Amino acid sequence: MAKLINLKINGKPVSVPEGTMVVDAAKKAGIDIPVFCYHPKMEPVAMCRQCLVEIGRPVIDRATGQPVLEENGQPKLQFGPKLETSCSTPVSEGMVVITDSEKARAGQREILELLLTSHPLDCPVCDKGGECPLQNLTMKFGPKESRFLYDEKHHAEKHFPLGDLIFLDRERCIQCARCVRFQSDIAGEPVLGFSQRGRHTEIVTYSDPGFDSVFSGNTTDICPVGALTTADFRFGARPWELKSSASICSQCPVGCNVTFNVRREVKAGGGYVIKRAMPRQNEQVNEIWMCDKGRFAGYQYTEADSRLKLDSPELDQALSQAAVKLAESASQAVFLAGGRLSNEDFYTLKQFATRLGAKAYLYTRHGGGEYTTRYGLAPGSNLGNLGKGDTVLVVASDLYHEAPLWYLRLKAAAKRGATLIVANARATKLDEFATFVIRYSYGDEVETVKSLSSKEKVGEAIKNTHHLVIFYGADGLGLTGTTALAQACADLFTSLPVSQTAPKANNGLIGVWSTPNQQGALEMGFAPCADLAAELKDKTVYILAADPAGDDPTLAEALKGAKAVIAQDILETETTRLANIVLPAAAYTEREGTFTSGERRVQRFYPAVPARPGTKADFALIAELAKRCGIDLEGRSALLVMNQIVANEPAFSGITYAKLAEVTEQWPIIGRSDLFYGGTGYENKQGLGVTLSLTPGVSPQGRDKQATLLSPSPAAKEMRGEGLRPKEDELLAVPITKLYDNGTTVAPAKLLAAHIARFDGVFVNPATAKKYGLENGSQARVSLNGVTYSASVLLDESISTGVVLIPRSFGIPLAEPAFVLLTALEPAQEA
Amino acid sequence: MLTEKYPSEIQAIFAKYPVKRSAVMPLLYLAQREEGYITKENMQEIANLLDLDVTEVAGIVGFYTMFHDEKAGKYRMQVCTDLPCALRGADAFLEALCDNLGIRVGETTPDGLITLEEVKCLGGCHRAPLFQIQEGDMVAFHENMTVEKTMELVEALRKSVNSSPRAATA
Repeated sequence: MAKLINLKINGKPVSVPEGTMVVDAAKKAGIDIPVFCYHPKMEPVAMCRQCLVEIGRPVIDRATGQPVLEENGQPKLQFGPKLETSCSTPVSEGMVVITDSEKARAGQREILELLLTSHPLDCPVCDKGGECPLQNLTMKFGPKESRFLYDEKHHAEKHFPLGDLIFLDRERCIQCARCVRFQSDIAGEPVLGFSQRGRHTEIVTYSDPGFDSVFSGNTTDICPVGALTTADFRFGARPWELKSSASICSQCPVGCNVTFNVRREVKAGGGYVIKRAMPRQNEQVNEIWMCDKGRFAGYQYTEADSRLKLDSPELDQALSQAAVKLAESASQAVFLAGGRLSNEDFYTLKQFATRLGAKAYLYTRHGGGEYTTRYGLAPGSNLGNLGKGDTVLVVASDLYHEAPLWYLRLKAAAKRGATLIVANARATKLDEFATFVIRYSYGDEVETVKSLSSKEKVGEAIKNTHHLVIFYGADGLGLTGTTALAQACADLFTSLPVSQTAPKANNGLIGVWSTPNQQGALEMGFAPCADLAAELKDKTVYILAADPAGDDPTLAEALKGAKAVIAQDILETETTRLANIVLPAAAYTEREGTFTSGERRVQRFYPAVPARPGTKADFALIAELAKRCGIDLEGRSALLVMNQIVANEPAFSGITYAKLAEVTEQWPIIGRSDLFYGGTGYENKQGLGVTLSLTPGVSPQGRDKQATLLSPSPAAKEMRGEGLRPKEDELLAVPITKLYDNGTTVAPAKLLAAHIARFDGVFVNPATAKKYGLENGSQARVSLNGVTYSASVLLDESISTGVVLIPRSFGIPLAEPAFVLLTALEPAQEA
Repeated sequence: MLTEKYPSEIQAIFAKYPVKRSAVMPLLYLAQREEGYITKENMQEIANLLDLDVTEVAGIVGFYTMFHDEKAGKYRMQVCTDLPCALRGADAFLEALCDNLGIRVGETTPDGLITLEEVKCLGGCHRAPLFQIQEGDMVAFHENMTVEKTMELVEALRKSVNSSPRAATA
């Protein structure tokens, strides 16, 4: 604990840890000092000079080292001749700060007057108007009138697209460099910079494509003026028309807390429309950030044209038909659910399956859940607390693409001194910040993890760590591979001294799933099916929030061989198209529920807009179906289902909706009244969530039993000892995940079309491409598992020459690594 | 490619700096040597050499007035017209120079020889009117100038270009 320093701000005694800046000390005491360039998440730069205050320090007698006293016994104070920037001045013992004297106020007022000389004052048409720090601070601290000539105002380019997602208005920019510093210091992607100087200073990007970062949206939140705006929200609505609704991002397992802003619109026939997604502060999950996928694809799919709907009698009929089929089949029914469902949906589905005698599977190719439920993160965990003496291992995962916020959090942990070990078969963006980078050949994942302890430095870092967190992904792996990898990672925990492996905060195994709630399903005992195609044959299949037919033609064939297919989803998919009965579900933005993040944090999402007519929440549809099969299940509200989960699922014991909605004070202070300080993002008033306990009453064996309650989990086959070595002319095709893909919930994001297209193809090393007469962008035939696909060739220097990376969800199904033949579609042109 | 064109120079520059990114300025001068400006490709190459982002390199080019990212005449004639220089007649000098060269500030002579620029303080107020001539990565001061002397210099530059391309500012 840092030493506490005592000082007085505007006469108010304040005690803050040593090293705190005056501006933060004041904020903690409830005193607002105006700031523009300063941001509590970033190092101070004192560029804008807005935070000027008077600072006095006790005069110290050099001979005695004691403060010199006035006649009245008070310490004698020495005030500086000039005002000081409170953002870059650390507190010191006995300091006296005055923020509201006439001298200080004059300084603040004059800086504002100066800033406004080159600001267009186009507030009436500015998107930031109404939630603008410059506007608010001008009202509070600024001059009533300017002494400068209006006609001499600095004019510059407006509507300049930095990229296709972010627009810059150069004349609104006050050169605070918050965006520049966010990109270089926090995101680690320094694609924004200043060019020129003085009054000509302007924000530039030279990246190709422009503003090439997956965190770009955050710069619009922390921009203290309307200079940076998002392409989707600009000229879309005024902030004061918007209602805010708390939610959780559904694009990856991080579970970023978000706020959806909604308003009623004529365009929507008077209905509610989501206008934008913004981060909601949760310092234990996403801090005050979110990635562009969450921002620009997080809710858009719930408003897609391809939404399924039925009118009331049709829905009734569909439910009755489905119930008849399921009741007939009973134990011959197979339930298949995707990780997009909420905890409440999974629980209801599990009850239905158990009572009906049906089998229920989690639809995923990412195995190892039986280990993440046993060795997962314990309550009290916060990746933000990892630092010196802690070790984080990331294996077979490209976190930048799979879970961008985890990438941010680990990058920051490494900066704080944590040992970051990144093991992957190819270069990933996290390598740059890693302490150790380990390269292996695809197929050697398990061997690599097993050999880590025996490596000299890496082994030491793992053995001697205070906390060990392991992230494992599915880069180049299928179900078998991920399961084996999870086991190897779990073995790392068991091989360590008990002091390190007993459940404790900031320790544990995290699966980098592709869906928001796979962990929740796993905690309730759901497991994937090893041979799905065989399992579906002649069965009545009830598919929820999954598109097996779209993912893999062999599964589409298998579904055609099923007795009946009932598909429940929010969007039309290949699977709903071939289903006999389709049940339209409400989107998660239209209902209540909870997701369990990869960090095992259960978090609530709330309805942002009313459910579309003719749709119902998944758990309600399941309960309806059950009812028609003579099984009475809770389907009235998500809260009532959660009460049952808590009573019946050991992992969820002690959780209530009320507890999930609890908030504690968070630092920095951001949000509506404080947006000048922390940005436009939302403070959290609706709950920080609760991490599941690692049920102490249940032994690992007991949990095994729990895990096999519904279906046997696929046997973790021993991986081959050596890497998968392709024969001559053959290449090894491995599945990987890119941030932007053609997944059901991403493809409808129109704004991201160009970003998605960048990954639509197969990645090979330039040398490999040359060998096969291919070049960047040329079309190739990809022959895989007996099927030939055509795809664009994309070059990636960082991968080995023997592999072809197949991004998931781009139309080439690849459940497990396989050997592949690559040929040019057209004769290559001579370069 | 700079690495192909100036391998030994680059090696010599790298040897001077314990931290790689510090070499950005000399590398930019090197990139500017031939054409008098820095192409985006060169910025990208320097960024790759130094593990920087191209935007960071471009920011440096933008900040410093003697780096250029646009093609101009072979010689950039940069006249200071700040207050002390103006008091010594620099503004009138510049005006007369424009007339004699037949171009305005910011323009290039039709033969591509001279680009005339107006700049901030060159630190030679007491010897105004003065200008500096920038050619590639080199620069020369010309102080206590008159239009006549300047036109003679321009003539000399024109001749030297025809005989030896890099003699004028050496």
